[in-house]
Amino acid sequence: MTWRILKAADAEAVMRKGGSARIDADLAARFRPGDAIVARNINPPGHTRVPRYVRGRRGRIDRDHGVFIFPDDHARDGTQTPQHCYSVKFSGRELWGPDAEENHFVYLDLFDDYLDPA
Amino acid sequence: MNGIHDLGGMHGLGPIEPEADEPVFHHGWERRAFALTLAAGAGGAWNIDMGRFARECMPPAEYLATGYYEHWLYGLERLLVEQGIVTRDEIAARVDQARREDGA
Amino acid sequence: MSDHDHERLSETEIRVRALESLLVDKGLVDPAALDILIDTYETKVGPRNGAKVVAKAWTDADYKARLLADATAAITGLGFTGRQGEDMVVLENTSQVHNMTVCTLCSCYPWPVLGLPPVWYKAAPYRARAVIDPRGVLAEFGVALPAETEIRVWDSTAELRYLVLPMRPVDTDGLSEAELAKLVTRDSMIGTGLPLSPAELARAAE
Repeated sequence: MTWRILKAADAEAVMRKGGSARIDADLAARFRPGDAIVARNINPPGHTRVPRYVRGRRGRIDRDHGVFIFPDDHARDGTQTPQHCYSVKFSGRELWGPDAEENHFVYLDLFDDYLDPA
Repeated sequence: MNGIHDLGGMHGLGPIEPEADEPVFHHGWERRAFALTLAAGAGGAWNIDMGRFARECMPPAEYLATGYYEHWLYGLERLLVEQGIVTRDEIAARVDQARREDGA
Repeated sequence: MSDHDHERLSETEIRVRALESLLVDKGLVDPAALDILIDTYETKVGPRNGAKVVAKAWTDADYKARLLADATAAITGLGFTGRQGEDMVVLENTSQVHNMTVCTLCSCYPWPVLGLPPVWYKAAPYRARAVIDPRGVLAEFGVALPAETEIRVWDSTAELRYLVLPMRPVDTDGLSEAELAKLVTRDSMIGTGLPLSPAELARAAE
């Protein structure tokens, strides 16, 4: 493994460049805005970005953000799997039950592999 | 992982207590821990997702009882040791040395 | 803070110092680079950046439209780019909709426009409650919204970073962009606060 030491002269430039996780890939999306989905009930022991509070819950695709590095694979071994990432809308009542306030919605950014059609 | 970091919806964690006119860093060591994490991350031995996972592996009781940059320090040490870049013994030896120099 | 906490933090300080000296001695980190990273995020990058974005959107309808259509391009165009802000989304507050952002899983936050997040944003209470009790959270911040206002909580679970575009306060006609930017608080760009009114700003200056 080759370590790249961050030199002082490069520090600001490296921060300004950042590291977008977006992948320029022409990949078909599984879902479109407006589609009804259900978040998968997955419980991987490794890294994942689908919180427990949303698993098994029904929501609606609000926006397709495009193609990004899928974090679960990336954390496991550095594999950069391209997947669509969507903004998905859930109602407070769907997440927290009938006693939750109306007029309360939670939007999460979820990948293809976290979702199934409802 | 179904870890302690997955906090959405949990009850009983107390009030939010925002601090007025909060400084960016509360202690000098926070500055160093912040910068070390970013600089080491730029080294290329791990990616940001591996970085997050390392912090998620902190023992839950410790995670809830410690502050944010303590989580970063835990994650950084864990990654450095896992990747074979430093050993636990090297860290321990250096900590002992620092403690002696501190006159503690 | 308890004695126990003091002791724990002194231990942490020693540990950080030890780790830094170890990594420097192994040639893995450049201490001068560390100083630059600290200086950048302690003094150069902060919510005044986001306030400029908001003030411009308030005064320039074309910019606002571009900001809502492609936030990354519009924010980059003002020179605010970098780590943890590479892919931006702007959320517009209206009289019907109030937006609030959180990262329940860690602390994801749009660094180039807001700087580093405050302690409360990264701590367990906010991360746990924002998604289940947003009105309770807003009440703790002293914000009361009408019951009819729809609250949208955005959990930054991927690499998109969110900036709230608060509503322009009333009685601000004729203010310049620079004057308007002074009304934009950091919390109003997270969604846990509202911008200052000109009267509130004047009182704060006293």
